[in-house]
Amino acid sequence: MNGPKPGWRDWIAAVWAEAHAVPPGLPRLAWRAGGIWMFAREILRPRRVAKATVFAAAAAAAAWAAWPAPEVGHAAVSQFGVIVTVVLLAGLPLLARRFLGPAGPSRAGRALRVFCFAAILALIPARILVEVFADFGPRPTGYLRINNAFNSAGVHGASSGGAPWPGEAAILLIIAVYVAAFLWLTSRRARLSRATLSAGAGTGLLLGLVMYAVAPLGLGLDATNPWLPGSDVDPLVALAWLLLVGGPVAAAVLAVRACRDAAGSVPPAATRFRQGVAAGVLANLTGALFVTALGTSTTALTLTSASLRQWLYHGDRLSALALYHREQLASVSTEVYVVMCVAFPLVGLFMSLLAAGFATHPPEEIPAETGVTS
Amino acid sequence: MTSRPEFSAQTLSVLAALCDQPSGWQHGYALAKQTGLKSGTLYPILIRLCDRGLVEARWQDEPQPGRPRRHRYRLTSAGLASAAQALGGAAERAAELAAAKAARKVRAGTRPAPRGAVAGSTP
Repeated sequence: MNGPKPGWRDWIAAVWAEAHAVPPGLPRLAWRAGGIWMFAREILRPRRVAKATVFAAAAAAAAWAAWPAPEVGHAAVSQFGVIVTVVLLAGLPLLARRFLGPAGPSRAGRALRVFCFAAILALIPARILVEVFADFGPRPTGYLRINNAFNSAGVHGASSGGAPWPGEAAILLIIAVYVAAFLWLTSRRARLSRATLSAGAGTGLLLGLVMYAVAPLGLGLDATNPWLPGSDVDPLVALAWLLLVGGPVAAAVLAVRACRDAAGSVPPAATRFRQGVAAGVLANLTGALFVTALGTSTTALTLTSASLRQWLYHGDRLSALALYHREQLASVSTEVYVVMCVAFPLVGLFMSLLAAGFATHPPEEIPAETGVTS
Repeated sequence: MTSRPEFSAQTLSVLAALCDQPSGWQHGYALAKQTGLKSGTLYPILIRLCDRGLVEARWQDEPQPGRPRRHRYRLTSAGLASAAQALGGAAERAAELAAAKAARKVRAGTRPAPRGAVAGSTP
């Protein structure tokens, strides 16, 4: 029986101890240099260092872009949100590595992790910009002043109401759940196949894109108009509903059908069922995160880019007050993405449970009752 | 189409060195001398073989006076089977390569057929 596997310290100590057996002089020096090279290559892992550096740079850029000025109302809440989000993104992978093992071997899993982190990093400045803007609700007495001062950079002032700590906590909780879910689904311990991850991610990205086309600035038709007239009978809206409900079903069925073990044979029903449910949940998780990142970022860009405002709202034909009203509506409408982030995975779970159950035990496989005669 | 060999040539040389004394423990420097590998190449190979459960490692029980304890290595039973299979496959591949090389040499030594000649048309 094998003893415990040596750790890194054992290996380093082994190379160093072995150097005493090597002839002194250049050979011994070369032996030790080889040990140092091994340490640099195997333990420091240049790729891991590069990934950490890219993440740190992206997180710093996102935090810098999002960091609200102290004079902005509820700046402390926003600053807290930025810090906690970055800590979640940096800390949860370490916890996941400890409890769930490293990332799975498939490229689809790694790509999904990158997608999740990129989307949430993009959300950091976008949601803070939008929240700060939405927080300054249009006060009737301030309309004229806003109208006059609109073309100056930014609109600052004291916001009404108390600090939105509960809302911020809820959003941070959702972010934590999303990061944890993506880490779990793409971890080695989850043992999801490449087909499962690809089916879930592909369906989810399609759902996200269609939802973005339907609700580029939240679901408020006033905010979106005239970009997209929007109506309940719009074909795009119908497609979005179809993907929301049918996407997890398709992903689950694909995952169940493609499920094979290492030897290429069909694994037990429980394994296929698990793959199917995971694919369906992943589809709607991906879709919700994708549309949230795209929609919130578009709204934030609308607030910061005058040229985008002009193009989007045909600002030359709108008064500054009307334009401001549209922006306010768009900012407030982004709250619908929070609802999507909660509802979509639940819909995905429900639909994929049904679909995976059906695909794992199709009617013809269910043994017919015997001994019953009419 | 041939499948990609499971082990690199360097790993095979380490496995072959370990196969020399299947039940005995060997030290790193002895393996390095046998295989001609440097420590920076040898140890990562040993680490991966250990991770795959093909090689077991153990610290020396009684070190020489004034010297630190040394690490020793030997093949596990799974490692022994895997090494035998891989080394057998490598020998077969080497024989195939040698045969192909010899055939190429023979072909290069013969005069090329005239252009337009049809196979089987020569008496």
